[in-house]
Amino acid sequence: MAFISSGYDPKQPMKNRITDIGPKHYEQFLPPVIKKNYGKWLYHEILEPGILMHKAESGDEVYTIRVGSPRLMGIQTIREMCEIADKHCGGHLRWTTRNNVEFMVDSKDKVAPLKEDLLSRKHTGGSYKFPIGGTGAGMTNIIHTQGWVHCHTAATDASGTVKAVMDDLFEEFTQMRLPAQLRVSMACCVNMCGAVHCSDIGFVGYHRKPPIIDHNVLDQICEVPLAVSACPTAAIRPTKVDMPDGTKVNSVAIKQERCMFCGNCYTMCPALPLSDGAGGDGLIIMVGGKVSNRISNPKFSKVVVDFVPNEPPRWPTLVKKVRQIVDAYSKGAHKYERLGEWAERIGWERFFEVCDLEFTWHLIDDFRDPAYETWRQTTNFKF
Amino acid sequence: MATVEFKGNNFEVDEDGFLQRFEDWNPDWVEFVMESEGIKEMTDEHQKVLDFLQDYYKKNGIAPMVRILSKVTGYKLKHIYELFPSGPGKGACKMAGLPKPTGCV
Repeated sequence: MAFISSGYDPKQPMKNRITDIGPKHYEQFLPPVIKKNYGKWLYHEILEPGILMHKAESGDEVYTIRVGSPRLMGIQTIREMCEIADKHCGGHLRWTTRNNVEFMVDSKDKVAPLKEDLLSRKHTGGSYKFPIGGTGAGMTNIIHTQGWVHCHTAATDASGTVKAVMDDLFEEFTQMRLPAQLRVSMACCVNMCGAVHCSDIGFVGYHRKPPIIDHNVLDQICEVPLAVSACPTAAIRPTKVDMPDGTKVNSVAIKQERCMFCGNCYTMCPALPLSDGAGGDGLIIMVGGKVSNRISNPKFSKVVVDFVPNEPPRWPTLVKKVRQIVDAYSKGAHKYERLGEWAERIGWERFFEVCDLEFTWHLIDDFRDPAYETWRQTTNFKF
Repeated sequence: MATVEFKGNNFEVDEDGFLQRFEDWNPDWVEFVMESEGIKEMTDEHQKVLDFLQDYYKKNGIAPMVRILSKVTGYKLKHIYELFPSGPGKGACKMAGLPKPTGCV
C-alpha cells in the first residue's frame, strides 16, 4: 500500500510534537444518568444473570447489561459494539476490569430490546458475539495474556486455552448457581501477567526443559551479568567457551540440576531460548486465590496440578481438570465461600480427594526458607 | 539479520537497528544512526553520554542504570531525552553500539 502521511515530518521529528497529555478524563464519556447521580447511589440489585440495576438518591435507575468479550478483538467488533451503544444507550458503553463490556440504559423498558438485540448476534461459526452474564455468584470472564498471538516467552497459548475453558464453563457465565463468584485467570508463562497468582482458578504456561545456550552470539546480544542475576536459583554463571573454530568466547554455563525452567534468563538474554513444543511445555493449574477482604484475607493461589500438556486447539485435559475442580467446589462449598476458603476449611488433603486430583512431589514447596512454612507442623490431618 | 552499508563499513544489525556486535562499532555508526534517532548534529554532550556508556559496558558487561548514567554525566533524565529523543535505551545505547535492552520493555 502506498504510504500516506499523517502530517508527521520525519525530517523534524520534534516539530509539533504533543506529549504528556495523558488519557482523556473519564467524565467526558459518562452516560447522562451516571453523571447526574455520580456518588449518590443508594443500592443495587442483580435482576438476572448479567443484568444489574442501580438506584440513586434522586430515584433515577440505571440498568446495566454485562456481556462477555474475547478481549482480543478486531475493529469491526468494536464498531458493532458502538453501533449497539448508539442504538440503545445514547452512544455510551464501558469495559470492566475483567474485559467484559457493559451497556447501560436509564429505564427498564429499554432492557428487553437491548437484551434481545445482543443475544441475536452470532458469529458465522455460531458462537455468541455478546453473551449476557458474568454477574453474581457465577463465573465471569477469564483474565488472560498474549500467548502465541504476540509474546516471545509464552509456554502456552492464551486465547486458545481461554476459549476452550470458557466454552466448557459457559453455563456458569450465564447463571449464578455457584457458592460465590469464581475468578479464573490464565498466564502464558510464570511471569504471571494478570491475576493467576490471586484467582480462584489459574492456569499458567510452564516449561520443563532448561534453556539452550547459543554460545555463538550470547556475548554479543546479551549483557551477561543480567542473565546471571536473572536466575532465582543461581543456576547460571559466566564462563568462557571454546568454539569449534578454535576461538574462545564469553558465555554462560547453566547447572541443569539447579534450573527450574522459569525462563527469566531468556527474558533478559535472547540467546537462551527454552520453549519446547514437543512434550516439554504445558500448563500448571493453581487454585484458591482471592483479592477481596471479604470474610477472609486475600490469598495466593496454590499449585494443585503439576502439569497438563499443551493440546491445541482445544486443550481437553486442561478443560477436564478445571471442570473437575469447579464441580467439586460447587457441590462442596457453603454459600459465600470462595474456592480457597472452601479448600482451607475441608483441608487440602480432602480437596485433592474430592477433586480427584493426583498429589505429586512437585506440589511440595522447596523454594528457600519460606517453603518450610508450607509443610505441616501439626498432627491435625484427615486420613 | 540485515547488513547495512555506510561509508565503506558493513554493519550487521537486527530488525530494530541495533548493532549485532559491539566490536563492529566505529564513529561512522553514530553518523549512520543519527538521522533515524532524530539527532541533527553531534555535540560534546552527546559524545559524553556515548563515551560513558561504552566505558561502562566495557568495564561491567552491562549498560548502566539510568540513575548511574545521570549521576556520572551530570545530565538529568530530561536533558538526556533532549539529547536523544528516543531515550537512553533506544537512542543512546543504540548509537553507542551496546546490545538491545531486554526484559519487559
